[in-house]
Amino acid sequence: MLLGRRPFARLAAAGLALPALRPARAAVSGPLVLYTSQLEPDAARTVEAFRALHPGVQVDWIRGGTGTIMTRLRAEIAAGSPRPDVLLLADSLTFEGLKEEGRLRPAPEVNTAGVPADYIAADRSYFGTKLITTGIMHHIRAPFVPARWTDLTDPRARGQVAMPSPAVSGAAAIHVLALTQNPALGWPYIEKLVEGGVQARGGNGPVMQAVAGGERAFGIVIDYLPIREAAKGAPVRFVFPEDGVSAITEPAAILSSARNVPAAIAFIDFLLSPEGQRLAASQGFLPADPAVAPPPGFPDPRTIRIMPFDAARAARERDETLRRFAALTGS
Amino acid sequence: MPRDGRSLAALALSWLVLIGAVPLLRLLAEGVASPGPVFADPAVWRAARRSLAVAAGASGCAAALGAALAWALLLRGPLPGRRALVFAAVLPLLVPPQVMALGWIQATGPSSPLLLALDLAPPLGTTNPVYSPVGMILLLGVQGAPLVFLTLAGTLRRIPGEAVLAARGLGAAPQAALRHVVWPLLAPALAAGAGLAYIAALGNFGVGALIGIPARYIVLTVLIWQKLSTGGAAALAEAAAIALLLAVMAAPALALQGWAARAAPLAGRQAVAPLALGAARWGIAALVLAYLVVVLIVPLAALAAAALVPAVGVPIGAATATLGNFAAALAAGSHTLRAIGNSLMLSFGAAAILALASLPVALSLRRSEVKLGSAAADLPYALPGTCTAVAAILVVLSLPGGMALYGSLAVILLAYLTRFQALALRPVAAAAARLDPLLDHAARGMGAGTLRRVLSVHAPPLAPALAAGAILVALTAINEVTVSVLLYGPGTQTLGVLVFTLQESGQSAQAAAVSCLALALMAALMAAATLAARRLPAGTLPWRP
Repeated sequence: MLLGRRPFARLAAAGLALPALRPARAAVSGPLVLYTSQLEPDAARTVEAFRALHPGVQVDWIRGGTGTIMTRLRAEIAAGSPRPDVLLLADSLTFEGLKEEGRLRPAPEVNTAGVPADYIAADRSYFGTKLITTGIMHHIRAPFVPARWTDLTDPRARGQVAMPSPAVSGAAAIHVLALTQNPALGWPYIEKLVEGGVQARGGNGPVMQAVAGGERAFGIVIDYLPIREAAKGAPVRFVFPEDGVSAITEPAAILSSARNVPAAIAFIDFLLSPEGQRLAASQGFLPADPAVAPPPGFPDPRTIRIMPFDAARAARERDETLRRFAALTGS
Repeated sequence: MPRDGRSLAALALSWLVLIGAVPLLRLLAEGVASPGPVFADPAVWRAARRSLAVAAGASGCAAALGAALAWALLLRGPLPGRRALVFAAVLPLLVPPQVMALGWIQATGPSSPLLLALDLAPPLGTTNPVYSPVGMILLLGVQGAPLVFLTLAGTLRRIPGEAVLAARGLGAAPQAALRHVVWPLLAPALAAGAGLAYIAALGNFGVGALIGIPARYIVLTVLIWQKLSTGGAAALAEAAAIALLLAVMAAPALALQGWAARAAPLAGRQAVAPLALGAARWGIAALVLAYLVVVLIVPLAALAAAALVPAVGVPIGAATATLGNFAAALAAGSHTLRAIGNSLMLSFGAAAILALASLPVALSLRRSEVKLGSAAADLPYALPGTCTAVAAILVVLSLPGGMALYGSLAVILLAYLTRFQALALRPVAAAAARLDPLLDHAARGMGAGTLRRVLSVHAPPLAPALAAGAILVALTAINEVTVSVLLYGPGTQTLGVLVFTLQESGQSAQAAAVSCLALALMAALMAAATLAARRLPAGTLPWRP
């Protein structure tokens, strides 16, 4: 299991960890194709920071929700020519699926630097790069400030809650799975949400926009968007619900069909390196490396409660759960 | 036609077959081969009904607006500031639909800076009213109005002023002459213009996606995009069948245009004089101005405001305005510069190739086989762009190793060549028809070969028309999204695709900033074209009818 409370134990030891010594970089070059679920400006900064270190590499990338990217990749695989060398997508379940199909190339060469082992697949086929949680955002003029997930079923929140579609967002897929595994919430809670008018639509960006733009008062959304935009003055706040958030690690992996493996390794090296982790923190993400300070606007990571999550069970139930959810919301 | 014109005609014909007939036939073959399961899907028929409703509504709306504009600006007058008003009346056609949609989304939501300032903003938790079928119809209607207006203007130039004089001579009052002589002659043009607006709305992706997806009102162009972006090559047969359905739905409007072309009046020697208005002309000018402010200034101001906010939901003001979104859009590594480069390369590349190809085609149009070929090449321009894009994928994938080309700029260029050949050919064909055949005879008498005659005798007088064709292609292709959204891959986003994907992923401030850059690029190109095209006949550039 990749997710759990343990990363935070490591975070507690932040002051003690030392950045790993980095071996001299081999010069890599050539085209590198990246498919990512990072939002446009974040992906652009990540790519540019990597290019500053490896100017010989030409990175061609596209972004889309994890679900959207995966359907594109599946179609390419079916047609016999998967394009990307590297994937940087939301959740480890997606990568577990690809690993079982033999689509990932284990990369023992990758230097994991200060990133704890529980972020990394045992066979080193994919590497968690940060921690992204899903909680509740609200407009500052919302009728009340929610504190728990059940607050979203309050009559005052009727027709006022936006959430991303699990068919698009990997974080939303994990969130729905975590809810169904939670005995206190489960399907009855999801059914109540849907009765209250929740429509699952698009990715996390549109949810952020709907709430900031005043079209909805509440949103179920990943943490860094509202925290980062609130710092810029957006009229929104993010709440880590008392009954726990769901979490993803945004892993990166190399496809077994990759054409430019050296550049792909260098790219993942960069994501896990102290520079890459500092970049993630400067973009507003909780870094995976406990030695890198979390960005402003986040509470003490030790106070964030993560909902229990059984990854093996989730992998078994994923397709059926998402189908049932889609039928329920009509999305 | 002399024997030695044959090589030219063969060249013209093979080009037209390559970019016109081949893609169309490939689409037809694919769509007809496997139509079954797609048409059993109720979602396809629902989308078809919605496409029809939106296109018909937009066409009616465009006909009413376009006719009113033509009445005010061309038939009555002279209105104060007429030239500027005519220019502005054509502008909605040149603003890319996805940008216009974005402007209205920004202008009407609960966080609209404009409505907030007027204290009219919808309360928190209200869905943006523009996210509705009515919003789509109004937007596409406004965008289609210039098509109707320009068709009417083109026909009005040909209507013999003598007909009006004759009616006046028979004792008709000026108003009556206008009503009973001019409008009946304009009626076919009105129908043709409405048909153009219908097809433009039917084939539109930008509005269908940016408004239709949030409104949960999926039209056919969006359905095809969804099929292709989620199903890849396997969904191609389905997409081809739906594209054919779209083509069938466009057919009545094509027939209408054909009828209107046959019903067009013969040109007279005297232009129709606008009917003088009294003091009412100020009122009418004010009305036209108010309309243009609402359809142009309001959405574009909202767009600019949205591009200048530090974060979505922050009210715009001197203290909050920031260029941060432009900086992010233009930051190293962002897709914007690449997209601008791709769009410039594609539109100028297509413009140059198509203008060059127009020369042999226009010079051999008198041959029936070339005429037939050019009719086939007209279709991809007349039909919705989605059909061209699907056809381009099909053609490329049937080449050996074609899968490697999927998503490359080459495929988009191929699709642009197919889609825009008719646009480039039109002014060249008109100019070539006016060439004096004596020149050709004289040159041949002096022993000049085909190539020599084309380059030294025909090309110089045709040069302005070639340039006009190229300009029209470049301007149309630079902000194109309907075709490229189905064809782009990593690193080959066009400007139109970038605006769409940014907005779709919730990056509305950056989408607005990129839209502003796209508009600036468009304005620069228009200014350059205006300077370059001073000696062209009226009606060559759309904004100088």
